[in-house]
Amino acid sequence: MTGVSRRGLLQAALAAAPVLSQINQAQAAGSDHVTIGWPSDVPSWDPDQRFAPDAQGIFKMVFDQPLDQSPTLQLVPHLITKWQLAPDGRSLAVTLRDDVTFHNGDKMTSADFRYTFFERIKADPKLDIGRSWRKVTDIETPSPTTAIMRFSSPAPTAPVWLAFLGSFVVPKTYLEHVGADGFRAKPVGTGPYKLAEYEMNARIVLERNDAYWGPKPALKRVTIEIIKDPSARVAAIQSGQIDLTISVPVREVTRLKAMPNLAGELNPITRVILLQIRNDEGFSDQNVRLAAHHAIDKAALSKAFYGGAAVPLSVPATPGTPGYLADFKFPYDPAQAKALLAKSGYSLAKPKKIRMATTNGQFPSDYDIARAIVAMWKKVGLDAELEVIEYAKYFELNRGDKLPEATLYSFDNATGDPEIYTGYLLNPQLPFSPWKDKVFGAKVIAMFNVADEKARIAGWRKLNREAVEIGASIPLLQSVQTLVRKKSLAYTRYGNGWVLGQTMKWS
Amino acid sequence: MRLLASLTRRLLVAVPILLVVSALLFTALRVLPVDPAAMSMPPNATRAEIEQARIQMGLNKPLPVQYAIWLGRAAHGDFGQSIHLRRDALRLVAETLPATIELTGAAMLVAGILGVAGGLLLFALRDRKAELVAETATTVLMSVPEFIWALLFIFIFGVLLPVLPFTGRLAPSLDRPVVTGFLLLDAVLVGRMDVLMSALAHMVLPALALGLAFSTPVMRVLRASLLDVYHEDYIRQARLRGLSETRILLRHALKNAFLPTLTLLGVQFGFLFGGSLLIEVIYSYPGMGNLMVDAVRNADLPVIQLVGLTYCVVVLFINSVVDGLYQVLNPRLRAR
Repeated sequence: MTGVSRRGLLQAALAAAPVLSQINQAQAAGSDHVTIGWPSDVPSWDPDQRFAPDAQGIFKMVFDQPLDQSPTLQLVPHLITKWQLAPDGRSLAVTLRDDVTFHNGDKMTSADFRYTFFERIKADPKLDIGRSWRKVTDIETPSPTTAIMRFSSPAPTAPVWLAFLGSFVVPKTYLEHVGADGFRAKPVGTGPYKLAEYEMNARIVLERNDAYWGPKPALKRVTIEIIKDPSARVAAIQSGQIDLTISVPVREVTRLKAMPNLAGELNPITRVILLQIRNDEGFSDQNVRLAAHHAIDKAALSKAFYGGAAVPLSVPATPGTPGYLADFKFPYDPAQAKALLAKSGYSLAKPKKIRMATTNGQFPSDYDIARAIVAMWKKVGLDAELEVIEYAKYFELNRGDKLPEATLYSFDNATGDPEIYTGYLLNPQLPFSPWKDKVFGAKVIAMFNVADEKARIAGWRKLNREAVEIGASIPLLQSVQTLVRKKSLAYTRYGNGWVLGQTMKWS
Repeated sequence: MRLLASLTRRLLVAVPILLVVSALLFTALRVLPVDPAAMSMPPNATRAEIEQARIQMGLNKPLPVQYAIWLGRAAHGDFGQSIHLRRDALRLVAETLPATIELTGAAMLVAGILGVAGGLLLFALRDRKAELVAETATTVLMSVPEFIWALLFIFIFGVLLPVLPFTGRLAPSLDRPVVTGFLLLDAVLVGRMDVLMSALAHMVLPALALGLAFSTPVMRVLRASLLDVYHEDYIRQARLRGLSETRILLRHALKNAFLPTLTLLGVQFGFLFGGSLLIEVIYSYPGMGNLMVDAVRNADLPVIQLVGLTYCVVVLFINSVVDGLYQVLNPRLRAR
């Protein structure tokens, strides 16, 4: 009799369990590998092509930016060792390192810098990086390690932009040789890791660049698993399939950090959650806009959706950044909201009808926050009709002047610079702002040309306050990055939410 | 030969169907309130730059002309470029299709095995008290959508009993061999048993989640067919000849009752292929469903169009194969 007995089956199952368990596990502490669960993929492997805030951290492992930011968001030297903005803000002289090589062995020089920030963007208008460097009229390269950027008008935030979003130096010779498609297929950077394998929407495998010019990463291999579903990310970290993940629901962080081998964090970052406001239609009346702001209990929103970790904001800037006003508070005051609406002839019996848009799933609890705001408004006499839109549609709707009176929006500004908050959120010439009022808009646009740093920061702080006082902006909360990791995995926490493999090590 | 001829004939009939579907898809996507020209440009592009992009993309021309241009290019294998990813749409689909085919094939296997086994069990339990329990169980199975199974399996086999992986197609420590894009095949071709085992382990839960929901209709149709077949004279004659019930079922009844089930499996494959969309997102499976979700989110019309057409081609192909098989298996059709 050669049949399989129940005992035999049980023994086989017990023998297979450890094998399956091995297949299942991420790297254990002490190894030189780490597996990260990330909620989104890179838009492409050309870092200059499409700007995506969540991709910046991934790109920073493979490519280098001319300047870097410290964990507390100070600008620090990187590929550039020295930089000097001219007093009129119309030129920026930089000195580059002379010991940097690309992954293919080519030496990085000022020719690559000029190619990235001038030649390439003039040749291809569809590159996102071109929009950040519109003002560049030329880049002179007196030597392989020096360059002078020339601008058509003052560019006071040029140094900041050299450390922001898609400002990564790409290799001129290689890119011209293989073309854009070839580069996207086999990207070459100067960063601490090389791209070893990429499977779209699945995983990114990075191998340490042993010829890196900077500090060598402790971990040899970083695998980034793209896990879009938050429940799957929670399950993956809980089961040990990954070592670190972000953007999990707040309640799950609380639950997971109670487990013996996991640590959970709620980290406030430089991302603001706010209502983008129109200056016309149902919000043409300042009383109505201010009433809408007074009616929102931001502390309650923070408590309900972010465990109280999201700081309520009164200006469109986060604590610790130059544009933040610690002494200015816009109060939650439903009585005042009712009084303002009454002045304009509205009441609970005769509510003001407006429309509101929100994304659903673009950032944690977005749809729930929008519904809560609609409920808060209802209590003071504002009747909002809620509409769900895709994030990609925001710009198109705004361009066609079709956004509703209020849109719930999350704006990322890894630099913390006030120009990139208020200047972008309220500049009527830019696609982010539904606020098209020319009087306030003119003040915002003028600030882009202020070269003196002290005057610039003072100006933005003043505008931040004015924007809220006239109801041009309804800031809500400082966004919170949720992060869960194995306790034995250490990493450097950045104030802007970057999670970088080169800062990780097992203890 | 007859099967091949039948398949060829059906594939030829598929051409006009594809033309109609492509025209419908093209029109539907152009009617949507989405501006592909604007979506192709950076967010802060000026209106003039968007207009220029619109002209370059041919979007200023009448819709029939736009379709004719698209069709002309498609005939030469040019299905346009992804607006969001700026990559050749055909290449994107070609890269992601193997994962979806592998997953759907595995799910089909699960649905087939469970469906046939369940159908036989239901039939065996007919007119017994246990039939009610089995009926209720199949109703429950049918009522639960595949994404709920997906989450449930992650919880049970991934978290509670952490024995199976549930993200991606391969363990993080393994390098993926790339030969054909079909991971299982590639693992065999390069002789990597570790990759093969890991890929199979990663496929178990998504295939089970996808296949389980589709197994119940197979069970029910097979049971109903068997009940019908058992009223036929040849079953009675087989009994009179003294054949055992097992032999009657497996040698005579099942063969005939399987034909409607086969038709159903063909139809189911289309739904299964479409159902992979959510499963791929939940299990981070890098297939065409995942690509489609991204494309819809970013209003990436060329990719949506091509993925839609690919679904159509795959469904038509499978239905043609099933129809051919039906002819081979059905002696009455063979005789015509």
